[in-house]
Amino acid sequence: MATSSTKTKSSDDPILQWVTFKLAGETYGINVMQVQEVLRYSEIAPVPGAPSYVLGIINLRGNVVTVIDTRHRFGLESGEINDNTRIVIIEADNHVVGILVDSVAEVVYLRQSEIETAPNVGNDESAKFIQGVCHKNNELLILIELNKLLSDEEWLDLEDV
Amino acid sequence: MTINTPEDSVCDYLAALLYEDVSAPEMPQADDSGVDLKDQARVLENGGRAHNIEPAKVPQEPADRVPVSQDLKVNSDSPTRAPVPTSVPRTTKPSGKAPQNAPEQDVALVDREKLNRLLSSAQPQLLTAPVPTPLKEPTPALIPEPIVEPQAAEQEPNVEVVEQHEAAIDLDWHDNGRPHWAQDRFDVLLFKVYGLTLAVPLIALGQIQPITEELTPLFGQADWFMGLQPTPMGQIKTVNTALFVMPERYDAEFLKTAKYVVSIDGLEWGLAVDSVQQPKSLDPTDVKWRTSRTQRPWLAGTIKAHMCALIDVRNMGALLMAADRNKKG
Repeated sequence: MATSSTKTKSSDDPILQWVTFKLAGETYGINVMQVQEVLRYSEIAPVPGAPSYVLGIINLRGNVVTVIDTRHRFGLESGEINDNTRIVIIEADNHVVGILVDSVAEVVYLRQSEIETAPNVGNDESAKFIQGVCHKNNELLILIELNKLLSDEEWLDLEDV
Repeated sequence: MTINTPEDSVCDYLAALLYEDVSAPEMPQADDSGVDLKDQARVLENGGRAHNIEPAKVPQEPADRVPVSQDLKVNSDSPTRAPVPTSVPRTTKPSGKAPQNAPEQDVALVDREKLNRLLSSAQPQLLTAPVPTPLKEPTPALIPEPIVEPQAAEQEPNVEVVEQHEAAIDLDWHDNGRPHWAQDRFDVLLFKVYGLTLAVPLIALGQIQPITEELTPLFGQADWFMGLQPTPMGQIKTVNTALFVMPERYDAEFLKTAKYVVSIDGLEWGLAVDSVQQPKSLDPTDVKWRTSRTQRPWLAGTIKAHMCALIDVRNMGALLMAADRNKKG
Protein backbone atom coordinates (compact mmCIF):
# COMPACT_ATOMS: atom_id res chain seq x y z
CA MET A 1 0.00 0.00 0.00
CA ALA A 2 2.75 2.34 1.00
CA THR A 3 4.70 1.40 -2.10
CA SER A 4 1.72 2.12 -4.26
CA SER A 5 1.27 5.45 -2.59
CA THR A 6 4.90 6.29 -3.12
CA LYS A 7 4.73 5.36 -6.75
CA THR A 8 1.69 7.54 -7.22
CA LYS A 9 3.38 10.43 -5.55
CA SER A 10 6.55 10.05 -7.59
CA SER A 11 4.60 9.90 -10.81
CA ASP A 12 2.73 13.02 -9.85
CA ASP A 13 5.91 14.75 -8.88
CA PRO A 14 8.74 13.20 -10.86
CA ILE A 15 12.34 13.68 -9.94
CA LEU A 16 14.43 15.11 -12.73
CA GLN A 17 18.18 15.26 -13.02
CA TRP A 18 19.84 18.42 -14.13
CA VAL A 19 23.41 19.03 -15.16
CA THR A 20 24.45 22.35 -13.74
CA PHE A 21 26.99 24.69 -15.19
CA LYS A 22 28.28 28.15 -14.49
CA LEU A 23 27.95 31.07 -16.75
CA ALA A 24 28.86 34.62 -15.77
CA GLY A 25 28.69 33.75 -12.11
CA GLU A 26 25.22 32.23 -12.20
CA THR A 27 24.31 28.58 -12.08
CA TYR A 28 22.24 27.08 -14.84
CA GLY A 29 20.73 23.67 -15.25
CA ILE A 30 19.93 21.56 -18.29
CA ASN A 31 18.08 18.30 -18.39
CA VAL A 32 20.54 15.46 -18.06
CA MET A 33 18.65 13.46 -20.67
CA GLN A 34 19.67 16.00 -23.26
CA VAL A 35 23.35 15.95 -22.36
CA GLN A 36 25.47 13.60 -24.37
CA GLU A 37 28.87 14.41 -23.03
CA VAL A 38 31.04 17.11 -21.59
CA LEU A 39 34.30 18.02 -23.28
CA ARG A 40 37.26 20.03 -22.23
CA TYR A 41 37.71 23.11 -24.27
CA SER A 42 39.43 22.43 -27.53
CA GLU A 43 40.10 24.73 -30.37
CA ILE A 44 36.97 25.78 -32.15
CA ALA A 45 37.30 26.43 -35.83
CA PRO A 46 35.43 29.59 -36.80
CA VAL A 47 33.06 29.41 -39.72
CA PRO A 48 32.87 32.42 -42.01
CA GLY A 49 29.35 33.66 -42.47
CA ALA A 50 27.98 31.80 -39.50
CA PRO A 51 25.40 33.43 -37.27
CA SER A 52 26.82 35.57 -34.50
CA TYR A 53 25.83 33.10 -31.80
CA VAL A 54 27.92 30.35 -33.45
CA LEU A 55 31.49 30.12 -32.25
CA GLY A 56 32.47 27.57 -34.82
CA ILE A 57 32.82 23.85 -35.23
CA ILE A 58 34.76 21.08 -33.59
CA ASN A 59 35.63 17.60 -34.70
CA LEU A 60 34.10 15.10 -32.34
CA ARG A 61 35.34 11.66 -33.24
CA GLY A 62 34.92 12.33 -36.87
CA ASN A 63 31.67 14.22 -36.59
CA VAL A 64 31.41 17.94 -37.04
CA VAL A 65 29.61 19.60 -34.18
CA THR A 66 28.62 23.24 -34.12
CA VAL A 67 29.44 25.10 -30.92
CA ILE A 68 27.11 27.83 -29.73
CA ASP A 69 28.30 30.85 -27.82
CA THR A 70 26.02 30.46 -24.84
CA ARG A 71 26.92 33.79 -23.30
CA HIS A 72 26.07 35.54 -26.52
CA ARG A 73 22.87 33.61 -26.84
CA PHE A 74 21.82 34.60 -23.36
CA GLY A 75 22.75 38.22 -23.87
CA LEU A 76 25.63 38.06 -21.41
CA GLU A 77 29.03 39.62 -21.70
CA SER A 78 31.67 37.47 -23.27
CA GLY A 79 34.09 35.70 -21.01
CA GLU A 80 37.55 34.31 -21.17
CA ILE A 81 38.51 30.77 -21.84
CA ASN A 82 40.27 29.01 -18.97
CA ASP A 83 40.92 25.53 -17.64
CA ASN A 84 37.37 25.20 -16.39
CA THR A 85 35.78 26.02 -19.70
CA ARG A 86 33.77 23.16 -21.09
CA ILE A 87 31.85 22.30 -24.21
CA VAL A 88 28.66 20.49 -23.34
CA ILE A 89 27.38 18.36 -26.17
CA ILE A 90 23.63 18.38 -26.08
CA GLU A 91 20.77 17.09 -28.13
CA ALA A 92 18.00 19.57 -28.62
CA ASP A 93 15.15 19.46 -31.05
CA ASN A 94 16.75 16.46 -32.76
CA HIS A 95 19.98 18.33 -33.34
CA VAL A 96 23.33 17.78 -31.70
CA VAL A 97 25.27 20.89 -30.85
CA GLY A 98 27.82 22.01 -28.32
CA ILE A 99 27.33 24.86 -25.93
CA LEU A 100 30.28 26.65 -24.41
CA VAL A 101 30.04 27.17 -20.66
CA ASP A 102 32.38 28.57 -18.01
CA SER A 103 32.41 25.33 -16.07
CA VAL A 104 30.32 22.28 -15.34
CA ALA A 105 29.38 21.77 -11.74
CA GLU A 106 27.34 18.70 -10.87
CA VAL A 107 24.16 16.76 -11.39
CA VAL A 108 21.31 17.71 -9.09
CA TYR A 109 18.03 16.00 -8.47
CA LEU A 110 14.97 18.19 -8.48
CA ARG A 111 11.36 17.38 -7.99
CA GLN A 112 9.09 18.89 -10.54
CA SER A 113 7.26 20.65 -7.74
CA GLU A 114 10.45 22.39 -6.70
CA ILE A 115 10.69 24.20 -10.00
CA GLU A 116 9.16 27.64 -9.96
CA THR A 117 8.09 29.71 -12.89
CA ALA A 118 10.55 32.43 -13.72
CA PRO A 119 9.38 35.91 -14.53
CA ASN A 120 9.39 37.05 -18.11
CA VAL A 121 9.49 40.81 -18.27
CA GLY A 122 10.84 42.90 -21.07
CA ASN A 123 11.02 42.26 -24.74
CA ASP A 124 14.11 40.15 -25.05
CA GLU A 125 13.35 36.89 -26.76
CA SER A 126 16.08 35.11 -24.86
CA ALA A 127 13.88 35.07 -21.76
CA LYS A 128 11.97 32.19 -23.29
CA PHE A 129 15.03 29.98 -22.82
CA ILE A 130 14.37 29.94 -19.11
CA GLN A 131 12.21 27.02 -18.15
CA GLY A 132 12.09 27.87 -14.49
CA VAL A 133 14.12 28.45 -11.40
CA CYS A 134 14.80 26.43 -8.31
CA HIS A 135 16.42 27.31 -5.04
CA LYS A 136 18.75 24.47 -4.20
CA ASN A 137 21.77 24.27 -1.94
CA ASN A 138 21.59 27.95 -1.12
CA GLU A 139 21.73 29.04 -4.69
CA LEU A 140 19.26 29.72 -7.38
CA LEU A 141 19.36 27.38 -10.33
CA ILE A 142 18.19 28.77 -13.61
CA LEU A 143 16.81 25.91 -15.63
CA ILE A 144 17.20 26.14 -19.37
CA GLU A 145 14.76 24.86 -21.93
CA LEU A 146 17.21 23.60 -24.51
CA ASN A 147 14.56 22.88 -27.09
CA LYS A 148 13.89 26.58 -27.28
CA LEU A 149 17.51 27.54 -27.52
CA LEU A 150 17.17 27.96 -31.26
CA SER A 151 14.19 28.50 -33.47
CA ASP A 152 13.38 26.24 -36.39
CA GLU A 153 14.92 28.73 -38.77
CA GLU A 154 18.05 28.96 -36.69
CA TRP A 155 18.38 25.19 -36.66
CA LEU A 156 18.23 25.29 -40.43
CA ASP A 157 20.91 27.94 -40.44
CA LEU A 158 23.07 25.69 -38.30
CA GLU A 159 22.71 22.88 -40.76
CA ASP A 160 24.12 25.19 -43.41
CA VAL A 161 27.08 25.83 -41.16
CA MET B 1 0.49 45.25 -21.75
CA THR B 2 3.87 46.80 -21.36
CA ILE B 3 5.35 48.88 -18.64
CA ASN B 4 5.46 52.55 -19.40
CA THR B 5 8.08 53.78 -17.06
CA PRO B 6 7.68 57.46 -16.22
CA GLU B 7 9.75 59.80 -18.28
CA ASP B 8 9.76 62.58 -15.74
CA SER B 9 11.53 62.22 -12.53
CA VAL B 10 9.51 62.00 -9.41
CA CYS B 11 11.73 64.57 -7.82
CA ASP B 12 10.83 66.99 -10.55
CA TYR B 13 7.26 66.11 -10.07
CA LEU B 14 7.43 66.70 -6.38
CA ALA B 15 9.24 69.96 -6.81
CA ALA B 16 6.75 71.13 -9.39
CA LEU B 17 3.94 70.13 -7.17
CA LEU B 18 5.33 72.05 -4.27
CA TYR B 19 5.92 75.23 -6.19
CA GLU B 20 2.93 75.20 -8.46
CA ASP B 21 0.21 73.93 -6.25
CA VAL B 22 -0.71 77.24 -4.68
CA SER B 23 -4.37 76.36 -4.63
CA ALA B 24 -3.87 73.23 -2.68
CA PRO B 25 -5.15 73.23 0.88
CA GLU B 26 -2.66 74.01 3.55
CA MET B 27 -0.79 70.89 4.38
CA PRO B 28 0.07 70.21 7.98
CA GLN B 29 3.79 70.25 8.43
CA ALA B 30 5.54 67.31 9.80
CA ASP B 31 6.49 67.73 13.36
CA ASP B 32 8.55 65.00 14.79
CA SER B 33 9.94 67.07 17.58
CA GLY B 34 8.20 65.07 20.21
CA VAL B 35 9.05 61.71 18.79
CA ASP B 36 12.03 59.76 19.81
CA LEU B 37 12.49 57.64 16.75
CA LYS B 38 15.22 55.63 18.29
CA ASP B 39 12.98 54.62 21.12
CA GLN B 40 10.19 53.93 18.73
CA ALA B 41 12.37 51.78 16.59
CA ARG B 42 13.56 49.88 19.60
CA VAL B 43 10.01 49.18 20.51
CA LEU B 44 9.21 48.07 17.02
CA GLU B 45 12.18 45.83 16.66
CA ASN B 46 11.58 44.27 20.02
CA GLY B 47 8.20 43.19 18.84
CA GLY B 48 9.41 40.16 16.98
CA ARG B 49 12.56 38.75 15.63
CA ALA B 50 11.69 35.98 13.28
CA HIS B 51 9.53 36.23 10.25
CA ASN B 52 7.14 33.63 11.43
CA ILE B 53 6.66 34.93 14.91
CA GLU B 54 3.26 36.39 15.42
CA PRO B 55 3.57 40.12 15.82
CA ALA B 56 3.90 41.10 19.37
CA LYS B 57 2.09 43.41 21.65
CA VAL B 58 4.52 46.26 21.77
CA PRO B 59 5.73 47.19 25.19
CA GLN B 60 5.37 50.81 26.10
CA GLU B 61 8.81 51.01 27.63
CA PRO B 62 11.49 50.96 24.95
CA ALA B 63 14.36 48.60 25.25
CA ASP B 64 17.89 49.84 25.03
CA ARG B 65 19.61 47.23 23.05
CA VAL B 66 18.70 48.06 19.51
CA PRO B 67 20.51 51.05 18.13
CA VAL B 68 18.69 52.78 15.37
CA SER B 69 20.09 55.69 13.53
CA GLN B 70 18.38 57.97 11.11
CA ASP B 71 17.43 55.04 9.01
CA LEU B 72 15.69 52.26 10.73
CA LYS B 73 18.03 49.32 10.45
CA VAL B 74 15.83 46.42 9.70
CA ASN B 75 18.65 44.04 9.13
CA SER B 76 20.65 43.14 12.11
CA ASP B 77 24.30 43.28 11.21
CA SER B 78 25.17 40.76 13.79
CA PRO B 79 23.20 37.59 14.11
CA THR B 80 24.13 37.38 17.75
CA ARG B 81 22.37 40.61 18.53
CA ALA B 82 18.96 39.30 19.10
CA PRO B 83 16.16 41.35 20.54
CA VAL B 84 14.01 39.73 23.13
CA PRO B 85 10.95 38.46 21.37
CA THR B 86 7.51 38.32 22.72
CA SER B 87 4.70 36.29 21.39
CA VAL B 88 1.25 37.60 21.83
CA PRO B 89 -1.81 37.09 19.68
CA ARG B 90 -2.63 39.83 17.25
CA THR B 91 -5.04 41.74 19.38
CA THR B 92 -3.49 45.15 19.38
CA LYS B 93 -4.89 46.51 16.18
CA PRO B 94 -4.68 50.26 16.60
CA SER B 95 -7.55 52.50 15.91
CA GLY B 96 -7.52 54.09 12.50
CA LYS B 97 -8.43 57.47 13.91
CA ALA B 98 -6.31 59.71 16.01
CA PRO B 99 -6.07 63.37 16.86
CA GLN B 100 -4.40 65.20 14.04
CA ASN B 101 -2.69 67.67 16.32
CA ALA B 102 -0.75 65.14 18.24
CA PRO B 103 2.59 64.95 16.51
CA GLU B 104 4.13 62.92 19.25
CA GLN B 105 1.73 60.17 18.35
CA ASP B 106 2.68 60.30 14.73
CA VAL B 107 4.89 57.30 14.90
CA ALA B 108 3.21 55.71 17.85
CA LEU B 109 -0.04 55.43 15.97
CA VAL B 110 1.30 53.32 13.19
CA ASP B 111 0.22 49.81 12.88
CA ARG B 112 2.93 48.38 15.04
CA GLU B 113 1.65 44.95 14.64
CA LYS B 114 2.09 45.07 10.92
CA LEU B 115 5.39 46.81 11.18
CA ASN B 116 6.70 44.29 13.62
CA ARG B 117 5.99 41.60 11.17
CA LEU B 118 7.76 43.48 8.42
CA LEU B 119 10.80 44.27 10.45
CA SER B 120 11.10 40.82 11.82
CA SER B 121 10.84 39.42 8.35
CA ALA B 122 14.05 41.24 7.51
CA GLN B 123 15.95 39.15 9.99
CA PRO B 124 15.84 35.63 8.68
CA GLN B 125 19.38 35.09 9.85
CA LEU B 126 18.21 35.29 13.40
CA LEU B 127 16.39 32.07 12.92
CA THR B 128 19.64 30.25 12.81
CA ALA B 129 21.43 32.30 15.40
CA PRO B 130 22.32 30.42 18.58
CA VAL B 131 20.34 32.72 20.77
CA PRO B 132 18.33 31.76 23.83
CA THR B 133 14.72 32.10 22.94
CA PRO B 134 12.52 32.93 25.88
CA LEU B 135 9.42 32.49 23.82
CA LYS B 136 6.26 32.30 25.79
CA GLU B 137 4.25 30.64 23.12
CA PRO B 138 6.49 29.47 20.33
CA THR B 139 4.75 28.96 17.09
CA PRO B 140 4.84 25.44 15.67
CA ALA B 141 7.19 26.49 12.90
CA LEU B 142 9.79 27.56 15.43
CA ILE B 143 9.89 24.33 17.37
CA PRO B 144 13.23 22.77 16.60
CA GLU B 145 12.81 19.44 14.97
CA PRO B 146 14.46 17.53 12.16
CA ILE B 147 13.42 19.28 9.00
CA VAL B 148 13.70 17.39 5.78
CA GLU B 149 12.52 20.20 3.60
CA PRO B 150 13.13 23.41 5.49
CA GLN B 151 11.70 25.58 2.75
CA ALA B 152 8.37 23.92 2.83
CA ALA B 153 8.30 24.00 6.60
CA GLU B 154 8.98 27.70 6.64
CA GLN B 155 6.57 28.60 3.94
CA GLU B 156 3.50 27.14 5.47
CA PRO B 157 2.98 29.65 8.26
CA ASN B 158 3.74 32.52 5.95
CA VAL B 159 1.15 31.49 3.47
CA GLU B 160 -1.27 31.63 6.30
CA VAL B 161 -0.14 35.10 7.24
CA VAL B 162 -0.49 36.33 3.70
CA GLU B 163 -3.91 34.85 3.33
CA GLN B 164 -5.03 36.42 6.53
CA HIS B 165 -3.71 39.73 5.43
CA GLU B 166 -5.07 39.58 1.93
CA ALA B 167 -8.52 39.10 3.27
CA ALA B 168 -8.23 42.36 5.15
CA ILE B 169 -6.83 44.46 2.32
CA ASP B 170 -9.00 46.56 0.11
CA LEU B 171 -6.88 48.54 -2.30
CA ASP B 172 -9.71 49.93 -4.38
CA TRP B 173 -10.21 53.62 -4.81
CA HIS B 174 -13.33 55.39 -3.67
CA ASP B 175 -15.25 58.11 -5.40
CA ASN B 176 -13.69 60.72 -3.15
CA GLY B 177 -10.38 60.21 -4.91
CA ARG B 178 -8.73 58.25 -2.15
CA PRO B 179 -8.04 54.58 -1.83
CA HIS B 180 -9.99 52.57 0.66
CA TRP B 181 -7.08 52.40 3.05
CA ALA B 182 -6.84 56.17 3.15
CA GLN B 183 -10.36 57.01 4.18
CA ASP B 184 -9.13 57.64 7.70
CA ARG B 185 -5.70 58.05 9.12
CA PHE B 186 -3.33 55.51 7.72
CA ASP B 187 0.23 54.41 8.25
CA VAL B 188 3.04 54.46 5.78
CA LEU B 189 6.61 53.34 5.87
CA LEU B 190 9.17 55.56 4.21
CA PHE B 191 11.95 54.24 2.03
CA LYS B 192 14.91 55.87 0.43
CA VAL B 193 15.59 55.06 -3.18
CA TYR B 194 18.70 56.81 -4.36
CA GLY B 195 17.75 60.11 -2.80
CA LEU B 196 14.05 59.84 -3.43
CA THR B 197 11.77 59.06 -0.55
CA LEU B 198 8.93 56.71 -1.26
CA ALA B 199 6.04 56.00 1.04
CA VAL B 200 4.22 52.72 0.98
CA PRO B 201 1.03 52.15 2.95
CA LEU B 202 1.77 49.77 5.71
CA ILE B 203 -1.33 47.77 5.02
CA ALA B 204 0.02 46.73 1.65
CA LEU B 205 3.52 45.77 2.63
CA GLY B 206 4.57 42.18 2.55
CA GLN B 207 8.04 41.65 3.92
CA ILE B 208 11.36 43.41 4.12
CA GLN B 209 14.33 41.30 3.27
CA PRO B 210 17.97 42.18 2.92
CA ILE B 211 19.40 42.00 -0.56
CA THR B 212 22.08 39.39 -0.45
CA GLU B 213 24.60 37.88 -2.79
CA GLU B 214 21.96 35.33 -3.59
CA LEU B 215 20.13 37.90 -5.65
CA THR B 216 20.16 36.19 -9.02
CA PRO B 217 19.73 38.17 -12.20
CA LEU B 218 18.02 36.47 -15.10
CA PHE B 219 19.04 37.08 -18.65
CA GLY B 220 16.59 38.39 -21.17
CA GLN B 221 14.62 40.50 -18.72
CA ALA B 222 13.80 44.17 -18.64
CA ASP B 223 16.48 46.49 -17.31
CA TRP B 224 14.42 47.32 -14.25
CA PHE B 225 14.36 43.69 -13.18
CA MET B 226 17.20 43.19 -10.73
CA GLY B 227 16.72 39.51 -10.22
CA LEU B 228 15.29 36.93 -7.90
CA GLN B 229 16.05 37.31 -4.24
CA PRO B 230 15.67 34.02 -2.38
CA THR B 231 14.08 34.45 1.03
CA PRO B 232 12.73 32.01 3.58
CA MET B 233 9.33 32.74 2.12
CA GLY B 234 10.23 32.15 -1.49
CA GLN B 235 11.70 34.14 -4.32
CA ILE B 236 11.05 37.84 -4.50
CA LYS B 237 11.10 39.25 -7.99
CA THR B 238 13.12 42.33 -7.24
CA VAL B 239 12.51 45.56 -9.08
CA ASN B 240 15.23 48.12 -9.60
CA THR B 241 13.07 50.82 -8.09
CA ALA B 242 15.31 53.70 -9.05
CA LEU B 243 15.26 52.68 -12.67
CA PHE B 244 11.57 51.93 -12.61
CA VAL B 245 10.34 55.20 -11.15
CA MET B 246 12.89 57.70 -12.44
CA PRO B 247 14.84 56.23 -15.33
CA GLU B 248 16.05 59.62 -16.50
CA ARG B 249 17.95 60.09 -13.27
CA TYR B 250 19.07 56.55 -12.89
CA ASP B 251 22.57 55.87 -11.74
CA ALA B 252 23.90 52.33 -11.74
CA GLU B 253 25.38 53.13 -8.34
CA PHE B 254 21.96 52.21 -6.99
CA LEU B 255 22.83 48.58 -7.56
CA LYS B 256 25.48 48.99 -4.89
CA THR B 257 23.47 51.09 -2.49
CA ALA B 258 20.28 49.05 -2.54
CA LYS B 259 20.18 47.10 0.69
CA TYR B 260 16.65 45.80 1.07
CA VAL B 261 13.81 44.52 -0.96
CA VAL B 262 10.35 45.48 0.18
CA SER B 263 7.74 43.12 -1.11
CA ILE B 264 4.18 43.98 -1.90
CA ASP B 265 1.77 41.97 0.13
CA GLY B 266 0.23 39.12 -1.78
CA LEU B 267 2.62 39.46 -4.70
CA GLU B 268 5.94 37.89 -5.53
CA TRP B 269 7.31 41.29 -6.43
CA GLY B 270 9.40 43.58 -4.30
CA LEU B 271 11.01 46.98 -4.56
CA ALA B 272 14.71 47.42 -3.97
CA VAL B 273 15.39 50.29 -1.61
CA ASP B 274 18.44 51.85 -0.05
CA SER B 275 17.10 52.13 3.45
CA VAL B 276 13.98 51.81 5.49
CA GLN B 277 13.06 54.88 7.41
CA GLN B 278 10.62 55.65 10.14
CA PRO B 279 6.95 54.87 9.86
CA LYS B 280 4.51 57.74 9.70
CA SER B 281 0.89 58.07 10.52
CA LEU B 282 -0.83 60.31 8.03
CA ASP B 283 -4.11 62.03 7.69
CA PRO B 284 -5.62 61.74 4.22
CA THR B 285 -5.40 65.52 3.92
CA ASP B 286 -1.64 65.26 4.26
CA VAL B 287 -1.54 63.76 0.80
CA LYS B 288 -1.94 65.52 -2.49
CA TRP B 289 -3.85 62.75 -4.19
CA ARG B 290 -3.32 62.35 -7.86
CA THR B 291 -6.43 62.84 -9.87
CA SER B 292 -5.00 61.30 -13.01
CA ARG B 293 -2.82 58.29 -12.71
CA THR B 294 -2.31 57.65 -16.35
CA GLN B 295 1.26 58.81 -16.67
CA ARG B 296 2.54 57.28 -13.46
CA PRO B 297 0.04 54.65 -12.54
CA TRP B 298 2.11 53.65 -9.56
CA LEU B 299 1.89 57.08 -7.96
CA ALA B 300 -1.01 57.57 -5.57
CA GLY B 301 0.00 61.03 -4.54
CA THR B 302 2.63 63.14 -2.94
CA ILE B 303 3.20 63.99 0.68
CA LYS B 304 4.48 67.51 0.88
CA ALA B 305 5.36 67.34 4.55
CA HIS B 306 7.79 64.54 3.94
CA MET B 307 8.71 65.39 0.36
CA CYS B 308 7.93 61.94 -0.79
CA ALA B 309 5.86 60.03 -3.28
CA LEU B 310 3.11 57.76 -2.06
CA ILE B 311 2.91 54.56 -4.03
CA ASP B 312 -0.35 53.22 -5.33
CA VAL B 313 0.31 49.66 -4.42
CA ARG B 314 -2.58 48.24 -6.34
CA ASN B 315 -1.51 49.83 -9.59
CA MET B 316 2.12 49.14 -8.98
CA GLY B 317 1.29 45.50 -8.45
CA ALA B 318 -0.92 45.45 -11.51
CA LEU B 319 1.86 46.94 -13.62
CA LEU B 320 4.36 44.39 -12.49
CA MET B 321 1.98 41.50 -12.86
CA ALA B 322 0.99 42.64 -16.32
CA ALA B 323 4.60 42.97 -17.36
CA ASP B 324 5.27 39.34 -16.55
CA ARG B 325 4.35 37.40 -19.63
CA ASN B 326 4.72 34.16 -17.77
CA LYS B 327 1.92 35.19 -15.46
CA LYS B 328 -0.52 36.19 -18.12
CA GLY B 329 -3.39 33.94 -18.80
